[in-house]
Amino acid sequence: MSDEVMTRTVALPGQTGTDKDDLAPESQEGMSARHAVIARIVIVAALLGAWEFAPVSRGIKFWLSSPSAILSTLWGWMVDGSLWAHLGATLSVMVIGYVIGCAVGIGLGLLFGFLPRLYRVLVPFVAAFYALPKIALAPLFIILLGIGMSSKVALVAITVFFLLLNSTIDGVRDVDRDLVQSLRLMGATRIEVLRKVLLPSALPWIFTGARISVRYAFTATLLAELIAANRGLGFLIEFNSGNFNATGSYAAIVVLVAFSVTLTEILTRLQILAAARRH
Amino acid sequence: MDNDVQDEIATTASIDRAAGSTDKIRLQGASKTFHVRGQAIRALQPIDLSVQHEEFVALVGPSGCGKSTILNLIAGLLPTSTGTVLYDGQPVRDLNRHVGYMTQKDTLLPWRRAADNIRVALELKCRPTSRSEADEKVARMMDLVGLKGFENHYPSELSGGMRKRTLLGRTLIYEPETLLMDEPFGALDAQLKLVMLDQLQALTQQRRMTVVFVTHDLGEAITLADRVVVFSARPGRIRALRDIGLPRPRDVFRIRFTDVFARYHEDLWDVLKDEVTKGTDI
Repeated sequence: MSDEVMTRTVALPGQTGTDKDDLAPESQEGMSARHAVIARIVIVAALLGAWEFAPVSRGIKFWLSSPSAILSTLWGWMVDGSLWAHLGATLSVMVIGYVIGCAVGIGLGLLFGFLPRLYRVLVPFVAAFYALPKIALAPLFIILLGIGMSSKVALVAITVFFLLLNSTIDGVRDVDRDLVQSLRLMGATRIEVLRKVLLPSALPWIFTGARISVRYAFTATLLAELIAANRGLGFLIEFNSGNFNATGSYAAIVVLVAFSVTLTEILTRLQILAAARRH
Repeated sequence: MDNDVQDEIATTASIDRAAGSTDKIRLQGASKTFHVRGQAIRALQPIDLSVQHEEFVALVGPSGCGKSTILNLIAGLLPTSTGTVLYDGQPVRDLNRHVGYMTQKDTLLPWRRAADNIRVALELKCRPTSRSEADEKVARMMDLVGLKGFENHYPSELSGGMRKRTLLGRTLIYEPETLLMDEPFGALDAQLKLVMLDQLQALTQQRRMTVVFVTHDLGEAITLADRVVVFSARPGRIRALRDIGLPRPRDVFRIRFTDVFARYHEDLWDVLKDEVTKGTDI
């Protein structure tokens, strides 16, 4: 949930900021958008310069690395194609796990909404598994499914599954019972009530769950790769750190930052798009 | 003329109508007690009431007298505490699918536009309707309830009265044989209410519907009903039944200015006003 709050606080100021930029170049702080960008560039350039040209001994330089070394490492990875392989591995684990988790979570959530008695029987189990930090299952999945892709997909899927299950159940339980009753009186079957009332009513909850769980899927993928893997961004960080290759670790983290910024940006865009479609 | 009516009022107070095969709905000693936080609240005393096939019955009484409870019993939304409710001679056990129920509460689907809300009953498997037929029916119903031009508005974009009319359209479009209405036009302004009453009379007559109509407006009840049932304050009990012998079709816009209407009104108001003042003590 704290993640959700964070998303909002991050997304909203950014959104209003861009609106303001479009309408009036001068914001309330008395600084135009262009000036803010220039200031950011200056700060980054100063930090990178200090990092690059810091007068330190060779020993310290080994641990500190430098932007030029990191860039050349990155370039090497791009040229030999290993970067794309690792990115692809991370992305496919995340996407496959996410899709499976969403599908099963939403499906089971609707089933519970459909069969409230079944839900009442199973609710303690659901609650117990929901409370469990899913990352604790990673070693278990590795001994069950090996260090390949499937153990990571399983971890991501189960993380996403519980988030979607809970938001779907919340959505279904929040439905106005009178709407259900009025459709039943019209002669709607249970399936029709599900399709015409429960699902549309739960949809905002499902979307929220789906949006939040992208970040959880990302974290779960990365953690699984850090624990045991032979491919992926997590592996890249772990592998380079393991070899005392600071430059390689920094380079992998740069990739990770780019990846998560892109992801956040896509999510924010989707969110704005969804909000615009709603009205 | 006046004397005739006087006689009719006097002689038609009979509660016991012959229980024939024309009974559409029959409540036999039906009562309802609610349990709220361990406290038993008696909403409805055991009552006997029959509604005949194609009859228009109006239930009038102070608020909280159990009128809505009667509709819920007929619709099968609530089980009786004692007694039974028969529909077509069969006890009502589960949801009663023969009725169209327009509840007091707004039960429009908020994610559907007005026209799509009205359409929903035609989309169900139990009522196979082709798309073009549904389109045409919906367009006619939108016109009938005076919502032409608001087809694409969401319920949140409609006024209270418009939402009521959308609800009415949604209930009427699948032509249920029995219509249960719980103060359907309470939120409408006086002029619009008359237009709606006129439409309701025309539709229910034309489609030969059985109607049980709950209202707190005695004038509305007399204008529309074949029979008016006055309830006592809670726990509800039948205080009076009157056949309304006004010929049909009735001119809902002018009938309230006729002497006959005034007499019915006066007679029933005498019964009702005692209950209304009692009701305010609660």
